Amino acid sequence: MVDFARVQKELHECNKDIEVSGISIKLKEDNNNSLTHLTGTIPGPLATPYEGGNFNIDIVLPDGYPFEPPRMQFATKVWHPNISSQSGAICLDILKDQWSPALTLKTALLSVQALLSAPEPDDPQDAVVAQQYLRDYQTFAATARYWTETFARSSTLGIEDKVKKLVEMGFPEAQVRSTLESVGGDENMALEKLCSG
Amino acid sequence: MDDCTSGEEDYYYSDRDSLDGLENDESDVQWVPPKGPSSKVITKESLLAAQREDLRRVMELLSLREFHARTLLIHYRWDVEKLFAVLVEKGKPFLFDEAGVTVVEKDDLDSFIFATVSCDICMEDVPGTAVTKMECGHNFCNDCWTEHFIVKINEGQSKRIRCMAHKCNAICDEAVIRNLVRKRHPDLAEKFDRFLLESYIEDNKMVKWCPSTPHCGNAIRVEDDEFCEVECSCGLQFCFSCLADAHSPCSCLMWELWTKKCRDESETVNWITVHTKPCPKCHKPVEKNGGCNLVSCICGQAFCWLCGGATGRDHTWSRINGHSCGRYKEDREKNAERAKRDLYRYMHYHNRYKAHTDSFKLESNLKETIREKVSNLEKKDSRLRDFSWVTNGLYRLFRSRRVLSYSYPFAFYMFGDDLFKDEMTNAEREIKQNLFEDQQQQLEANVEKLSKFVEEPFDQFAEDKVMQIRMQVINLSVITDNLCKKMYDCIENELLGSLQFGIHNIAPYQSKGIEKATELSVCWNPKDENTEKCPTPYSPNGIVTEPGRPSGSGSSYEGGCSSRNKRPRTGSLGSCTIDLNLPADVID
Ligand SMILES: [Zn+2]
Ligand SMILES: [Zn+2]
Ligand SMILES: [Zn+2]
Ligand SMILES: [Zn+2]
Ligand SMILES: [Zn+2]
Ligand SMILES: [Zn+2]
Ligand SMILES: [Zn+2]
Repeated sequence: MVDFARVQKELHECNKDIEVSGISIKLKEDNNNSLTHLTGTIPGPLATPYEGGNFNIDIVLPDGYPFEPPRMQFATKVWHPNISSQSGAICLDILKDQWSPALTLKTALLSVQALLSAPEPDDPQDAVVAQQYLRDYQTFAATARYWTETFARSSTLGIEDKVKKLVEMGFPEAQVRSTLESVGGDENMALEKLCSG
Repeated sequence: MDDCTSGEEDYYYSDRDSLDGLENDESDVQWVPPKGPSSKVITKESLLAAQREDLRRVMELLSLREFHARTLLIHYRWDVEKLFAVLVEKGKPFLFDEAGVTVVEKDDLDSFIFATVSCDICMEDVPGTAVTKMECGHNFCNDCWTEHFIVKINEGQSKRIRCMAHKCNAICDEAVIRNLVRKRHPDLAEKFDRFLLESYIEDNKMVKWCPSTPHCGNAIRVEDDEFCEVECSCGLQFCFSCLADAHSPCSCLMWELWTKKCRDESETVNWITVHTKPCPKCHKPVEKNGGCNLVSCICGQAFCWLCGGATGRDHTWSRINGHSCGRYKEDREKNAERAKRDLYRYMHYHNRYKAHTDSFKLESNLKETIREKVSNLEKKDSRLRDFSWVTNGLYRLFRSRRVLSYSYPFAFYMFGDDLFKDEMTNAEREIKQNLFEDQQQQLEANVEKLSKFVEEPFDQFAEDKVMQIRMQVINLSVITDNLCKKMYDCIENELLGSLQFGIHNIAPYQSKGIEKATELSVCWNPKDENTEKCPTPYSPNGIVTEPGRPSGSGSSYEGGCSSRNKRPRTGSLGSCTIDLNLPADVID
């Protein structure tokens, strides 16, 4: 049986300093307000291809929580060697055998955030991404940035808006899309590149 | 033969002994340990004692509590010597740290109990009395500890339950675990104890479960060599290294390949059997010999392989004399030839292997017949009163037959291309193969002779004739034993010993047969002479304890608290005791 008293306290504690950490945990809607199914949100770390993105993480608490680790996976698509680009599954030791009941959902989410800034390509979850990370970091970073722009930015200009804007400037749509992708969705860089090329 | 003609009865055991050997199936392989055998049977009941022996050594040397010793031993897979080596080499802190052992002075613990403590796991304030502090210094409430232990035991991690604190490597005190879990879940506490106990077998290089099916419940512990063969008290003889049936002088790899090959080839062999053709004259099956389709039977009849029809003995490229089925042609395909040669080679070895294995099975049935013969002989009024030569001869036959049959798969791999193709030149291989086959043939001839004499209905013979057979059996027993030993010498030194790359260990030759593991003495301090400390020796299924018998020099055998199943035959008869199972040079 999940220790609900503790989960309540954890949610309260975590959301109390949301201003500082940027990390929040909410009950998953559409789920009868059950305390076993939650959504965590972490901001992409600064100075990484994930900067500016907000990543949602699906959290399921097993019966044995907190004596068994919470099950977490990315609900937001993300391009990262230790996170499956297909399913969002996360390869992180504290979510497996290194879990300790003394850890909390918030500390776990902080570890996930730390993983975004420091990938471990030697222990990959997504082999394709890991290969790219090791062999061609530039392309990796561009793709990761593009994915962040495309999937993790709800508040600012969406990718479609950027495409529309650039097409209106007179560039062909296919070229606009591929250029945007190659620079990770950065509107200004794309414009520069389109003008020069 | 000279060795054995003089001296007569004095040299052999009393009739009583040899009869005991026949009456009790458990002791019929007459293995007499030189100084106490090196392998032990560990039953469910003696498991605790076996484990305690090792725990005791570590506890004493390092002045540790039992659970610390257990944690260390589990980490070092119950290899006490290795543990001591690490201690000497790297020191205590390293040793403890590696295994997750934290030792603190008892005073530091529960020195002060707070009124209430906040538990970091359930995030509640709990009374200080409901909190447990582990030796690593981390304290959490008892409910949380219990929950943690239950989850870990159910996950199968009883052997290494770590502290709940993040990144704390300390292993929890088993007594704390047991006590807390028992309060909520008595069954699980028992399961926990069983896991700990069985770790002694599962995590131990020198201990293995007996591979019998259905499982006899025993485990076997060997002393210093994993490459040996043992017999469990349930009667199963097996290779300790790979747990297959005993297979020496084949190495484990050879045996694995051989059993697989036998499985795979059985169809091919069937195919070839189907494809022998009956001779048109005498109807015996005839194999095709070489590529030529003109085959001839041993009866002299020549016939055509393609249609099976009788022919004359001459043929040209285009036709066989006296025959024209019109389909005759030479089969010159090299590959087919090669595949066939390989198959014939395999069949050559397999047939001999199988013939000897079958003989072994047949001879096993002789035990009963031999018992009758001995009792018939005893009824006669004869100056011959000792018949141990009969049983000794029979067991010598079993053992040599065994060696002989396994020597064929050995030779198949030793001189074939599968394993050692690049280890020898063809010339070397031929020399070695000749050397080996000479020995094999000598052994074969003598084993067959021995078999013939043992099978004679000598209980019906006149005394002179019995005496002759007796001499033959004794003599051939010594010869076959020596030949086996020579063959092993050759295998170990000339053949396997000269290899560069192959890692082929074989269980050494045991003149007295595969060692029977003895019941582990429940007394766990071998040096302890005080019998009062020893619990009643456990004597399970068929293992006879013999308190009435003089056990040699008594306490010299495992500290006088022996639940041994072996008669101490040597020693009690004085200096002139001789075991016919011993090789000739010992008998002199
Ligand atoms: Zn607690
Ligand atoms: Zn700890
Ligand atoms: Zn057994
Ligand atoms: Zn083996
Ligand atoms: Zn014939
Ligand atoms: Zn021919
Ligand atoms: Zn024909």
